[in-house]
Amino acid sequence: MTVLATSSSAAGRAPALKAIWRQTGFAPILFIILLAINIFINPARFAPSAWGTLIGLAAPLIGAAIASAPAILGGRGGIDISVGPIMGFVNAIVVLVLIQKLGLTSPWIVVGAAVAIGGLVGVLNGFLATILRIQPIVATLGTYLLLVGTTLTILPAPTGTVPVWLKALGGPLSILPLGAVFLIWFGIRRLPYYDHLMAVGSDDRAAYTAGIPVTLVRFLSYVITGVFAGVAGLMMTALIGSADPSIGPTYTLIAISAVALGGVSLAGGRGGLIGAAIGAIDIFLLQSALTYFNFSTFVLQIAYGSILVIAIVLTALQDRWLGRSREAR
Amino acid sequence: MPRFSSDQARVLGALMVAVALHLTGTALIQGYSSEFSMRAMLVLASLLAIASIGQTLVVIIGGIDLSIPFVIGFANVVTAQLYGGGMDFGLVCLIVVGLAFGIGALNGLISSSLGLHPLIVTLGIGTIVQGSVLLWTGGFPSGSAPDTVTEFVSIGGSVGFLPVPWLVPCFVVLAAIVTVALARTPYGRRLFALGSNPRAAPLALINPVAMWTVTFGVSAVFAAVTGILLLGFTGSAYGEVGQPYLFQTIAAVVIGGTALVGGRGSYLGTVAGALVLTEINTLLIGLGLQPSLVQAVLGVVIVVLVSFYGRDPHVRTTI
Amino acid sequence: MSDSPITLSARGLSLKRGAAPFDQDIRRGEIVGLAGLDGHGQDAFMETLAGLRAPVTGSVTAPLAKGGERAITSFRRAVQSGIAYLPRDRRATGIFPSMSILDNFAIATVGRDRRLGLISPAERRKRYDYYRERLSIVAPEPGRNLITTLSGGNQQKVLLARALAHKPDVLLLNDPTRGVDIATRRVLYSVFRELANEGMALVVLSTEIEEALVLCDRILVFREQELAAPLEGVARSSERIIATMFGRAA
Repeated sequence: MTVLATSSSAAGRAPALKAIWRQTGFAPILFIILLAINIFINPARFAPSAWGTLIGLAAPLIGAAIASAPAILGGRGGIDISVGPIMGFVNAIVVLVLIQKLGLTSPWIVVGAAVAIGGLVGVLNGFLATILRIQPIVATLGTYLLLVGTTLTILPAPTGTVPVWLKALGGPLSILPLGAVFLIWFGIRRLPYYDHLMAVGSDDRAAYTAGIPVTLVRFLSYVITGVFAGVAGLMMTALIGSADPSIGPTYTLIAISAVALGGVSLAGGRGGLIGAAIGAIDIFLLQSALTYFNFSTFVLQIAYGSILVIAIVLTALQDRWLGRSREAR
Repeated sequence: MPRFSSDQARVLGALMVAVALHLTGTALIQGYSSEFSMRAMLVLASLLAIASIGQTLVVIIGGIDLSIPFVIGFANVVTAQLYGGGMDFGLVCLIVVGLAFGIGALNGLISSSLGLHPLIVTLGIGTIVQGSVLLWTGGFPSGSAPDTVTEFVSIGGSVGFLPVPWLVPCFVVLAAIVTVALARTPYGRRLFALGSNPRAAPLALINPVAMWTVTFGVSAVFAAVTGILLLGFTGSAYGEVGQPYLFQTIAAVVIGGTALVGGRGSYLGTVAGALVLTEINTLLIGLGLQPSLVQAVLGVVIVVLVSFYGRDPHVRTTI
Repeated sequence: MSDSPITLSARGLSLKRGAAPFDQDIRRGEIVGLAGLDGHGQDAFMETLAGLRAPVTGSVTAPLAKGGERAITSFRRAVQSGIAYLPRDRRATGIFPSMSILDNFAIATVGRDRRLGLISPAERRKRYDYYRERLSIVAPEPGRNLITTLSGGNQQKVLLARALAHKPDVLLLNDPTRGVDIATRRVLYSVFRELANEGMALVVLSTEIEEALVLCDRILVFREQELAAPLEGVARSSERIIATMFGRAA
C-alpha cells in the first residue's frame, strides 16, 4: 500500500521527468557517469576551449544516430541500414567530385549537394520500403551494397583535402551542423507530421483507420533519415578532412546501437532524436575514456557491446517494473 | 490460390534465377561451366547455405541474427588456436560448438524473455564475442585446421567417383535433415506457429522463451560449423572471416522467399538463395567487374529479386 | 446435476484486491454460463480457471484421478489437468494465419502425431477427420489451404477442434460464437450439449444473454469483479440477469 502511494505521488510530482526517463531509459544516467569520469581523467580535453574539437569528434556518430532514428520511429520493421554508406558516399562525392574535380568549394553548393544526395537516397529507400513494400532491412541492404560498391569504385583509396570553412565545421564551428539538424527536427516536431509518425510507429492499423496516410508518413521518414545522413556525411568529411571510402559504412551498426541505447524502440513509435543523440554521446564518451586508459580497441569493443546489452536489458526491466506498478494502481 | 503453392513457387523461382544466371555465365564466359568452376561454386554455395541455416530458422520464428559473422569468426579463431595448441580436434569442436550454442542461447533468451529486438541484442552480444576473441589472441590468431577438415572442403577433393569434396554430399544430407525437421517434427511446426502468431503460441502450449533460446543456439552452432569449415578452406585463422556472411545470410534467406516477418519460408528456398548469390558473384567477377562494382550490382539484384516476390502486404490488408 | 462429481473448483477466489471472495464448483456434464457487463470479472474468472491469471486470493483446483487435488497455477498445468481453453479473440490469440488448416488444428497436440519421431501426416489427418465430422467443418484441402481461407465460423470450428483434441474434462469457451454465422451457431450449440451429455463440463462466457439462457444450466453473473449471483433453474430469466448485471438485483 505504501509503495503504491509513494510511486503514484512521485508520478504526480514530476510527470515530465518520468516521461523523459521512460523515453530515454538509462542513457542520461550513463551520460552523467561517463561525462564525470571523462572530465576527471582528462580535464584538458573537456575544457570549454576544447569543446569545438570535442563536438567535432563526436558529431559524425551523433549525426548518424540522429539520422537512423526517423525511419525506426515509423515502426513495422522500419530501419535504414544505409545511413553509414550514405555518409561515405556524400564524403566521396563532395571531396572527390565537387572539390577536387570541379573545384566547387562554396559552402552553399557543398552543403546543398550533401543534403540533396542524402535526400535522394532517402527517396530511393522510401520508395523501396514503403511503396514497393520490400522489407526495410532488405531494401536498405540493397542500397547499402549499392552505395558501398559505388563509393569504392569511384574512390578506391583515401585522397583529397577540404576547404578551410569545411575543416572549421569539424573543429571550432562543429556545433553548427549539429545545431542545424536539431533545429530542423524541432521544427518537424511542431508539425502534425510528427504526431502522425509516432502514431504510425506505435500502431499502423489504428493510424490507417484514423485516416493518417501511413505510406506517405513512412516514406517521408526515410527521406528525413536520408537528409540527416547527408548532413552527417558532411560532419564526417569535416572531421577527417579528406575522402575515405572505408569509414562511412562503419557508422551504420554503431548508430543503430546508439539509437537503441538512447531508448528508441526498434519496434517503432517510442523514443526520439534527443535519446538517440544521448545514446551516441554515451558511446563516444565510452570510447574516449577507454582510449585514454590506453585500452586496446578489443577491450573497447567488449565494453561497448556489454554496455549496449546491459543498458537495453535494464531499460526493459525498468519498463516491466513501471508497467507492473501502473497495472496495480 | 492457396499460399502453400506460392511458397513453393518462390523456391522454384529462386532456383530458376540460379539456373538462368548459370546459363548466362556459360554463354558469356569461357570456362564458366568448367569442372573447377562448378566445384568452386558448389563449395562456396554449400558454405553459405550452412551459415544460413540458422538465419532461416531465426527468421521463421520472427527474429534476425546479426551475430552469425561474429560467431563464425569466433569459431574460426578459437578452433585454430586450440588445435594449434595441441588439443584433440574432436574435443576442440565440442568446446567450440558448445560455447557457440551458449552464445546463441543467450541471444535468444535475452531477446525473448525481455521482449528486446533481436537485431540489437545479437549485435551487442556479437560485438562482445568478437572483442573477447581479439583480446584473447591479441589480434593475431595462430594455428591451423587439421588436414581432414582441409580435405573435407577442398575444391579439388573428391568422393569416390564424384568430383566434389565431402562437404557437398554431406551438405545435401544436412539440407534434407533441416527440411524434414521443419516440416515433420513438433519443433519445426512450433517454429512456424510462433513466427506466425506469437500471441497465440502460448495458448497452443508453445513456450516462446524456450523456442527462441534453442533456435538462436542452433543458429550459432551452424555459424560455428561454418567457421570451422572456413578454417579448412582458407588454411589459417582470421577473425573477420565471417564478415561477408552478415548480409549474405539475410540475402540468401529473403531471396529464397522466407518472409522477415516470420511464420513463412523454407530452407530449400535459402539453399536456392545461396546458389543465386554464388552465381551472381561468380558471373560478375567472371565478367571482369571490380569487387566493389560486384557489390553494387549485388545490391540492385537483391532489391529487384525481392521486389518480385518478397513484398509486404499493404497496411489496409492487415486490418 | 448437483450430485455429479466435481471437475474444477474455485475456493475463496477473489478477482481483485478487496473484492468479496466466492466458491464455485464446476461439475461433470453441466454447462455453466458466465455473464456480466464487459470487464466486470467474468473474463478474469475464466482466465483464472484456465491458469492464465493468478487469483488475488484463493485458488482453483482440479481433482486428481487417484484422489486428492491439484492447484491450477499455470496454463500448462491447466491443460495437464484436463482443462482446454478457447480464446476470445480468434485473430489475435487463436489462429496462426500463415499455416494450413491441419497445422492449425494439430499444433497444440502436435506431439501426438509422431510415428518414429516424425509427424505422420496420415495420423494427423485421421485425428482431424474425427473432429471435422463431429463439428461438420467445411474446409477443402486442409493440408494445403491456409486457415485464413476459411469463413469465421469454420475457423472457430477448427479452433474448437484444437481445444477438443486435448480430450479435456473441462472446456472453457470464451465467447465462442463471436462473429460466427447463425447456422454455425446452431451446430456449435448442439455440439456443446452433446459434449455435456458425454460428461464434459463446459464453461461458456457469453456476451448474449439469449445464448446463455438457451445453452446453460447455471449462469454466474458478475458485477464489479465479484460474483453477483449464481442463477439456476427458474431464476435464470433474462430480466433477472440484466438486473443483476446492472446491480439492481432484488
